[in-house]
Amino acid sequence: MSAMSLRSLNLPGVGTKYEFETDKGDTVAIFFTKTGTIQMYTLQKGCNTPSAAEMTPVEARRLGNILTGAIIEADQESVEIAFSALADLRVTIHSFLIPRAIAGKTIEDLQIRAKTGATVIAVCRHDKNIINPAPTFVFETGDAALVIGESDQIRMFEREIMVE
Amino acid sequence: MEGIVLALFLCLLLALITKYLSVPVIPFYILAGIALGKTGLGLVTSDVISRFFSDMGLIFLLFFMGLGLKPERIAANRSAVLTSGIIDLNINMIIGFVAAYALGFSLIESLIIASAFYISSTAMAITSLIENRKLMFRESETVIWLMVFEDLILIVFLALISAGSQNLIIFMMKILGVLAVLYVLAHYGKEFLISILDRDDELPILFTFAAVLTTASFSMYLGIPQSMMVIALGVAFATTDPDAFEQHARPFKDVFLVVFFVFFGVTIDFSGGVNWFVIAVICLLAIISKLISGILTGIVIHGSALSGLEIWGNTIGRGEFSIAIVVLYSSSGLVSPLVGTTIAAMVIVTSIIGSFTAKYSTSLRRGIMHLGRKKASPHRMHLGR
Repeated sequence: MSAMSLRSLNLPGVGTKYEFETDKGDTVAIFFTKTGTIQMYTLQKGCNTPSAAEMTPVEARRLGNILTGAIIEADQESVEIAFSALADLRVTIHSFLIPRAIAGKTIEDLQIRAKTGATVIAVCRHDKNIINPAPTFVFETGDAALVIGESDQIRMFEREIMVE
Repeated sequence: MEGIVLALFLCLLLALITKYLSVPVIPFYILAGIALGKTGLGLVTSDVISRFFSDMGLIFLLFFMGLGLKPERIAANRSAVLTSGIIDLNINMIIGFVAAYALGFSLIESLIIASAFYISSTAMAITSLIENRKLMFRESETVIWLMVFEDLILIVFLALISAGSQNLIIFMMKILGVLAVLYVLAHYGKEFLISILDRDDELPILFTFAAVLTTASFSMYLGIPQSMMVIALGVAFATTDPDAFEQHARPFKDVFLVVFFVFFGVTIDFSGGVNWFVIAVICLLAIISKLISGILTGIVIHGSALSGLEIWGNTIGRGEFSIAIVVLYSSSGLVSPLVGTTIAAMVIVTSIIGSFTAKYSTSLRRGIMHLGRKKASPHRMHLGR
């Protein structure tokens, strides 16, 4: 079999169903229900009881990230987005937990842009988001920084800044 | 007014508890109404305000049903919808009618009971499929289409109820005329409608509410009942942006429908001359007849009686539409209060039992399969939930 055949179906009152069979004969079905949750069922070939997992939209996106191959660590995750219209521009967004070593330093002190080319676009502190922090922004331990750049720049950030 | 507040407060508590226990809440709204109303403590009586709210509940329930009916979808699934639908309709209508007539109800009362007896609760069936994670079962699709078919039949029933003494052909022509006008309005006003629905101020919700109420109020001039008018509006609006309309109509439906259920409970009277034997027979048959129709559907559609058991488990609960039928009929004055109490009891019993069968139908099926297989295979397959 070539490409998997994806079947999509609108179920009145329930929502939308997507179903496909894998090459090995297992079936995966996803339901976007009207209640806003997403249910995923998997049915092993030859078995007649599917197993199900119910997810919130955020959880479903997370699962989607895993399945598309983006790296996900416990508290640090990254998403790569490819813009095919912009000469295949690939941008990676990665979250990092700020270690004690760089707490108390500002973005300027660390020379993030000069050393790595990456940019800190947001910092999450105590469940509050600081978007576009100024160069004078001081990191604290426990902050989670969202860094944007090309994948090389992100790797550089990890090597140069996070170990400091 | 205090009555409604008290009733709503009690319903809020019940909703919290039943959601926590994941059992259907409709029977408990009715029980709350019974406890507070005529039969019980007599704390709450129905008045002008509660009747208005109840009316709104029914109107929005039917508008919602209209929104969900997409004629082109049904046409695309005609054979699946028809076969199971016709089995379900015939078996349950016949058993319901014969039973009611044999128990001493009049011809017209027996018809009402049969209709309420036939129509399963769409809300309960769909919620149970989602909450019990059965959406992938092949029987689920059958159940979903069965509900769509029942909705269609309900519209026919409602039309027949409300035609009353009018000439049926003229009446039907009038309904089709209204539907055609609304369709044309929805078609040519589509962009305008969508531009209103896309706004994020109060306009979309105000528009939805006003459109439903205005359409309902036109019924007076046209001699077409409110119920048919709002269903027609829903069907017409479904051609524009049904999801947006659902979103904006949902708050009204959710709140007013609770008032509708609880005041249905308030107004029915169990204290005077209830025939418990009749109630017991109807409740028992309501469960058995869906078992028969379910198994037949399972055999015909899926080639398996066990599939029928699954269909049965999810369609036992009667609910919102059964009550709607009684309420609409009782306003015609043709029925004795006994019909109301019987159907109230049937809704309460079947919906509670239905919630358990929906939860455990899979285990039941597995149990039966194991019994059948035991001799054939010594292995016990481990099947996780």
